[in-house]
Amino acid sequence: MSTVVEAPTASSGPQSPRSGAVLAPISWKAPIAYAVVAVIALIGFVVVAPKGLETTFTVSTSSDFFQIAPITVPSTATALLLCLVALVLAGVSFWATRSRRKVGVWLPSVYGVALVLAFLTWSAAGKDSALPLTGLLQGSLFLAVPLVFGALAGLLCERSGIINIAIEGQLLAGAFLAAVVASITHSAYAGLVAAPIAGALVGLLLVLFSIRYMVDQIIVGVVLNVLVIGVTSYLFSTVLKVDAATFNSPPKLPVIGIPVLSQIPIIGPVLFRQTVLVYVMYVVVAVLQVMVFRSRWGLRLRAVGEHPKAADTVGIKVNLTRMKSTVLGGAVAGLGGAFFTVAAGLAFGKEMAGGKGYIALAAMILGRWSPAGALAAALLFGFSDNLRVVLGIVGTPIPSQIMLMTPYVVTIFAVAGVVGRVRAPASEGIPYVK
Amino acid sequence: MKRMTRVASLAAVAALALTACSSAPEEETTTAEETSAATDFTACMVSDSGGFEDKSFNQSGAEGLDQAVADLGIEEIKVESSAETDFTPNIDSLVQQDCNLIIGVGFLLEDPIQAAAEANPDINFALVDSSFSAPDFSPLTIDNAKPLLFNTQEASFLAGYAAAGMSKTGTVATFGGIQLPSVSIFMDGFADGVAQYNTDSGTAVKVLGWDKAAQTGSFTGDFENQANGQNLAQGFIDQGADVIMPVAGPVGLGAAAAAKAAGNVMIVGVDADWFDTAPDYSDIILTSVIKKIGQSVVDAVTQAVEGNFSSDPYVGTLENGGVDIAPFHSFEATVPAELVTKLDELKASIISGDLVVESESQN
Repeated sequence: MSTVVEAPTASSGPQSPRSGAVLAPISWKAPIAYAVVAVIALIGFVVVAPKGLETTFTVSTSSDFFQIAPITVPSTATALLLCLVALVLAGVSFWATRSRRKVGVWLPSVYGVALVLAFLTWSAAGKDSALPLTGLLQGSLFLAVPLVFGALAGLLCERSGIINIAIEGQLLAGAFLAAVVASITHSAYAGLVAAPIAGALVGLLLVLFSIRYMVDQIIVGVVLNVLVIGVTSYLFSTVLKVDAATFNSPPKLPVIGIPVLSQIPIIGPVLFRQTVLVYVMYVVVAVLQVMVFRSRWGLRLRAVGEHPKAADTVGIKVNLTRMKSTVLGGAVAGLGGAFFTVAAGLAFGKEMAGGKGYIALAAMILGRWSPAGALAAALLFGFSDNLRVVLGIVGTPIPSQIMLMTPYVVTIFAVAGVVGRVRAPASEGIPYVK
Repeated sequence: MKRMTRVASLAAVAALALTACSSAPEEETTTAEETSAATDFTACMVSDSGGFEDKSFNQSGAEGLDQAVADLGIEEIKVESSAETDFTPNIDSLVQQDCNLIIGVGFLLEDPIQAAAEANPDINFALVDSSFSAPDFSPLTIDNAKPLLFNTQEASFLAGYAAAGMSKTGTVATFGGIQLPSVSIFMDGFADGVAQYNTDSGTAVKVLGWDKAAQTGSFTGDFENQANGQNLAQGFIDQGADVIMPVAGPVGLGAAAAAKAAGNVMIVGVDADWFDTAPDYSDIILTSVIKKIGQSVVDAVTQAVEGNFSSDPYVGTLENGGVDIAPFHSFEATVPAELVTKLDELKASIISGDLVVESESQN
């Protein structure tokens, strides 16, 4: 689980210490944590687990070109093997820490995957239903899509110094307009084009109140969320419901499989058998990752968010930059809103964003205000959310109320335990006055 | 700086006013026509957070109230809640508007309605889907409050039986929004119906999403986020389920979308007949477990208007038609005749009391 957050953010942090001749004291926190968790897993999944059971995983979906037979493995032995891998990695981490070597992202990634697999092997042991690995990952990505767009929207605004609490409202506005436009034009793609416009309008309101009237940005954001809920619910009751056939029956975005790539087992159907919205998401993440940290535009954006006065003295128009990036952020979130209606093939429903905007905010912080980090964090949330769904279906002895807490527990652990202290852009939330 | 603060505070006030506008519960006051023999009776209703357009129990309740208003020439006030924190303020505002009868829709309103009933003994209350209980969970009768309850498990038993009979893959599924008694009662009946089918025909149809013995299963966690329902249903479909009963209000529409996308998957609707209320999915609705909340509301209002209000609970059963299963509509031709016959027999034996469908959540 710790895969995501250990991602190096060298480019994002001006605070990363450049140790000179003086060596910093060795921090043993990480290897100790690795070892402790691996030992707990070993005890829980192997030592006290019931013996002699088998776990079945399915890796193909019914529409796959290459059908791979379900894989059945002895539960205890597999869990033991995976826990041992985790322990070895913990050992590697000790060695690396001691010799002051930097280990790459691979260590926490492999460690996390090993432990998650061990957990899955344990939890599905002896069940008649096979555990669908592909379905698990597909659902994770599905649930992560609005989070990714929302988190990207948040970081675009916050990098420029405007706090965007209104992500929820932007998602909802995007979902609404996408549904209406797609229904009227009978084209899901038209809905996809309309969604960012709705989000951008909400972003424009946010930036208008924040810059022109210097209202506390958190207050504006919260108010905008409520405003969008009110407006969309009102229109839903008065217009959409009256003539649902005209205004609220959006066509679904078709699923497009990319030839060859979509035939790769497991990964293929998950990543390359998706709607256009998901492919756009890949592109947006990649482009923003480069643009924010490697382009002149990105440098200016970050300068305005960190030290607007300095940016102003070298001739960057602070408020204009903030305005542009906030509207852009709103548009990105609005596009994410299209997920709820045209991409999922659902009619618009009241408050259908269901709090995803707030989780997106957490994903942005967990991802340390970087696009790649936001993607990883959103996937982590999507995964933990879908894990409980899949385990619920396969059947676990854990009560449903406790299962429902999983995503939040993961969030708390991830934010508090692994990320530790994060630093927001310095001038975030402070209006710039010359 | 002074100017800034002033502008800021002004904007904040404006913003707050905006908030107030947007989130204010939508009130619809229908004044009875002057000409009708209008009694000065006002029947009022508070929705739960699903709102009156949820294509589910809130909507059924509201339609019942509208019906009563049309029949009896009384006045109505309906207030929508958008969150659980709205319940008490909404009920209070109705109390202040001199309502004669206040109906709360949904299990979640138990505590607010109970508190209001105890505080206002001269106003009558009714509560859909829950009885009242003392702090130690023992049942409680309040003289001015009437619970409207449903033995939903009887109808969902039949739906489960039909689902098992129609499943080609031998796997059916159900899930809920939040684990409340008024939700799990559906799932209990469904699971029992499938078990009965297995006993009768020697099959081994599996039920995913609910373990009746352990009272645990799959829940999406709310009644709003349709994407979660879609994802959960997709998970069931991946496991081979071809009949799904979502007991989650509008979230169930997400499941219907997943089923439609998958092709040969059927949906069992709940609360109302989804063939009518969700026309987008009419071709995949096998049947629906109908809970005639509307009728119970009409009855309760009529009693109150006529001065016969009593605190005796109304319990909808197959026998009194308070619960039922909908016709097969699109599947009329595909459901085997012997299954239809068997369902009729089962229904008769439930009504006669020969067959008792139990649920831990029943009232």
